[in-house]
Amino acid sequence: MLTFIGLGLYDEQSITVEGREALRSADRAFAEFYTSKLIGTTVDALSKHHGVDVEVRDRAGVEQDADEILDAAEEGETVFLTAGDTMISTTHVDLRLRAHERGIETEIVHGVTAQSAASGLTGLQNYRFGKATTLPFPYAHGADGTPQSVIDTIEDNRERGLHTLVYLDIKVGYERAGVDAADEYMTADFAAREFARDWDEDALGVVVARAGSPEPVVAADRLSALSEREFGDPLQMLIVPAELHDLEAEALEAFGEAPADVIEDNLY
Amino acid sequence: MGRRKKIVQECEKLMDKPEQIRNIAIAAHVDHGKTTLSDNLLAGAGMISDATAGQQLAMDTKEDEQERGITIDAANVSMTHEWEDENHLINLIDTPGHVDFGGDVTRAMRAVDGALVVVDAVEGAMPQTETVLRQALREGVKPALFINKVDRLINELQEGPQEMQERLLDVITDVNELIRGMTEEKDYDWTVSVDEGTVAFGSALYKWGVSIPSMEETGISFGDIIDMEESGNRDELHDRTPLSDVVLDMVAEHFPDPLDAQPRRVPTIWRGDAESELAEQMRLVDDEGEVVFMSTDISMDPHAGEIATGRLFSGTLEKGQELYVSGTAGKNRIQSVGIFMGDSREEVSRVPAGNIAAVTGLRDAIAGSTVSSVEMTPFESIEHISEPVITKSVEATNMDDLPKLIQTLQQVAKEDPTIRVEINEDTGEHLISGQGELHLEVITQRIRDNQGIPVHTGEPIVVYREQPQEKSREVEGVSPNRHNKFYITAEPMDQDIVDSIKLGEVAMDMPELERREALQEAGMDKDTSQNVEHIFGTNILIDDTKGIQHLNETMELVIEGLEEALDDGPLAAEPVQGTLLRLHDARLHEDTIHRGPAQVIPAVREAVHRSLIDANIKLLEPIQNVRIDVASDYMGSASGEIQGRRGRVDDMYQEGDLMVIEGIAPVEEMIGFSSDIRSATEGRASWNTENAGFRVLSDSLQRDKIMEIRERKGMKLELSPAIDYI
Ligand SMILES: Nc1nc2c(ncn2[C@@H]2O[C@H](COP(=O)(O)OP(=O)(O)OP(=O)(O)O)[C@@H](O)[C@H]2O)c(=O)[nH]1
Ligand SMILES: [Mg+2]
Repeated sequence: MLTFIGLGLYDEQSITVEGREALRSADRAFAEFYTSKLIGTTVDALSKHHGVDVEVRDRAGVEQDADEILDAAEEGETVFLTAGDTMISTTHVDLRLRAHERGIETEIVHGVTAQSAASGLTGLQNYRFGKATTLPFPYAHGADGTPQSVIDTIEDNRERGLHTLVYLDIKVGYERAGVDAADEYMTADFAAREFARDWDEDALGVVVARAGSPEPVVAADRLSALSEREFGDPLQMLIVPAELHDLEAEALEAFGEAPADVIEDNLY
Repeated sequence: MGRRKKIVQECEKLMDKPEQIRNIAIAAHVDHGKTTLSDNLLAGAGMISDATAGQQLAMDTKEDEQERGITIDAANVSMTHEWEDENHLINLIDTPGHVDFGGDVTRAMRAVDGALVVVDAVEGAMPQTETVLRQALREGVKPALFINKVDRLINELQEGPQEMQERLLDVITDVNELIRGMTEEKDYDWTVSVDEGTVAFGSALYKWGVSIPSMEETGISFGDIIDMEESGNRDELHDRTPLSDVVLDMVAEHFPDPLDAQPRRVPTIWRGDAESELAEQMRLVDDEGEVVFMSTDISMDPHAGEIATGRLFSGTLEKGQELYVSGTAGKNRIQSVGIFMGDSREEVSRVPAGNIAAVTGLRDAIAGSTVSSVEMTPFESIEHISEPVITKSVEATNMDDLPKLIQTLQQVAKEDPTIRVEINEDTGEHLISGQGELHLEVITQRIRDNQGIPVHTGEPIVVYREQPQEKSREVEGVSPNRHNKFYITAEPMDQDIVDSIKLGEVAMDMPELERREALQEAGMDKDTSQNVEHIFGTNILIDDTKGIQHLNETMELVIEGLEEALDDGPLAAEPVQGTLLRLHDARLHEDTIHRGPAQVIPAVREAVHRSLIDANIKLLEPIQNVRIDVASDYMGSASGEIQGRRGRVDDMYQEGDLMVIEGIAPVEEMIGFSSDIRSATEGRASWNTENAGFRVLSDSLQRDKIMEIRERKGMKLELSPAIDYI
């Protein structure tokens, strides 16, 4: 049996009760933190808190050598953990399909994902979100500047009156020429700067930082203004809204301290 | 005022008169007497003593050159010569003849407008004679012929006037046949002719020379020459008809000056806009135009540092100028400009267009860089046709020398583009690949002796290639997350297209339209030529996909994966060559993050390797043309030396009283050939080898050789099960 468990947004407390029970009764617990990460805790603390030994796998250990996980799942209760929800941005459907091919039963325990925080904390309606996209670090994609597909996604969404949730790249233990392996997290001000330069500096952006933590930050302003601020520790994300409904505008003013003139410019 | 100083001043005066400048190279088969001839010219110009000329070999300045008795590095010198009451500035490059250093010849030809081809009268036209002629003509450099060592015809072969003239005519006929074959498509006739005076004969060792015009002038006949040689009156012969006068007159009269040469040469070596002002300035040798300089040689001077030598096509070089160097960002500042005199460089205040100049301060320049005062289309790269075939590992004996060795190796690569250096900082075991055993030996010796770095080197090993033998089916490569898929085929490419890439006639950095035309001319069909996405080595990637979303921004990663796959072929991680790859289709994840490098590169690499395997990829080894000249008694043992080396004898014929054996053999088997042939023929054979590209290794050896290479590289000793045909 292979159970996919989403750990939620922030620390060892963010898991659902159902997830916690499944995790604690597992024979083996695997996890990956290369697609996202629980910023408020460590693997050790997570293991200790739940009284299980969490075995972390890197990308190759999940994508190429999935057999170890599947073998374990064939033998006993095995769980596979990721931050957020295992099937949303982290796209682990591949692993589930492989398990299915081998006749292994699978189950999913949902976790809170960035998407719920994105509407929850900002007041932007979840019905009005279009396709999400990720902004990669400049060195991690082939093109120069902001990838066209990212800008296309934002523009297509806005044309249809939809908000865009932009995930910001994280690199875990990533090695590249001249830089030691380290964890890197793109910050929202960096992303705002990229968009301001390559797309539209006057457009409205909404930063959500440390969603799920005791002190999340929401900030709404023009991209050019956001690009000059700092939002503290990771994880962060950036929303590029379409024209705002009244209530959305009010929420951004109230919870994101959006300047009135910026809101004015972005009303329906 | 010292004599030297005076010559420098003379040169400086003439630099501004392009019609009185000749830029020439002396080129020939190994040992035919280039450097001895250069001595004569230097003595004639008063730069070395007349007494020692002929033995001094003044242009072979390096210690190892003197020790080995061969020229290794092309050497520059400027001199003056009076012809028809006018002084001329002659910028001369003495080039090496040994085939391993052929890259120096190729590069020298870019700097000059005339090539004085020297042929040994006894040996006649030899393989390198053909090669240097080809190098000259490809660059639009005009040849003239000097037949050397005529004294040997008289003293060793005891030939009379009749026999001697016949032999000389034979040499001329052979050389002209080569020239004709190489200039078929040209609208000018560059064959050499005794009557016109583009041929001279003589003895560089004994310092006399004649040509038909000079014989008319001095009244000396072949009979006189024979008499004087035989009676030991060589000094009289030298006095009455000095070699330097005859040859320098020929140079002044028959070689083009820059004003004549540049309008013809610029279109063949530069792809920029012919209508532009820059093009006009280069054609006119305009010393007031933009600076356009091509560095053809980089060398290290213990005091001045790195010196870039090359041809100035337009503008004037001066200290303090800030110049662009092709392929690098930013500008370099010129520290000094100079010209060469024998072994030393003389600083001058300025060098104007049309000259060969030596410049310091161009720290980013490599041999082959275009250096200019405006950003411009660089010159065509100088392609040396033979790729490195032999590799040796080099390791510093002392840990302390590690950084210095790396620095030295990087410098070596900068100076000699026919070398490939692979630095491995992790293991400290670096690899140098070069043209032959001697090439690598010279380099490692220089690292030891000149740089004072004790190193130990591994046994020489041969460089291999991999190439598909037929067309593959369409295969799939899947990314680790299975969200991205690429569909690719591979097939061997036509040799004509491969050659065009090697010669630089087809390249990614040329205007697309021109590239398409060049490819179609080489035989590629129109549709394919329009979809060329990338050229890597001698491989081409065709993008046959239509309207796939996001492929555009993923293409660079596709190319990265492709290059990785081609650098390390599927058989033994040797480079893949001569392959046409087609990308037919691709499936990409919606979000960039799930089609990043970690996904796309392995997927493409997998697709490329699978297509190559499906196309029956095989291992290729480098081969050499071999020519042995041997007394007929030893013919059997000499040809046995080729056949015993997995070689093939293609031709045997009599030439004079020697037998000539021609054939091919694998480079690997030719390692150690020198001592074997010497003992097999008791020292009675001379031989020449020339790299002749790569050939599929015979089927019976494929598996063993692949495994041997894999073992050496520490790879798995089993092949992918798909490689069932080996
Ligand atoms: N008999 C005779 N020997 C000559 C003559 N010219 C050169 N040699 C000899 O030929 C040998 C090679 O001469 P080099 O001038 O070094 O030949 P090279 O063409 O410069 O040789 P590389 O640069 O190594 O290719 C020397 O031993 C010379 O003394 C000549 O006219 N007559
Ligand atoms: Mg020489």
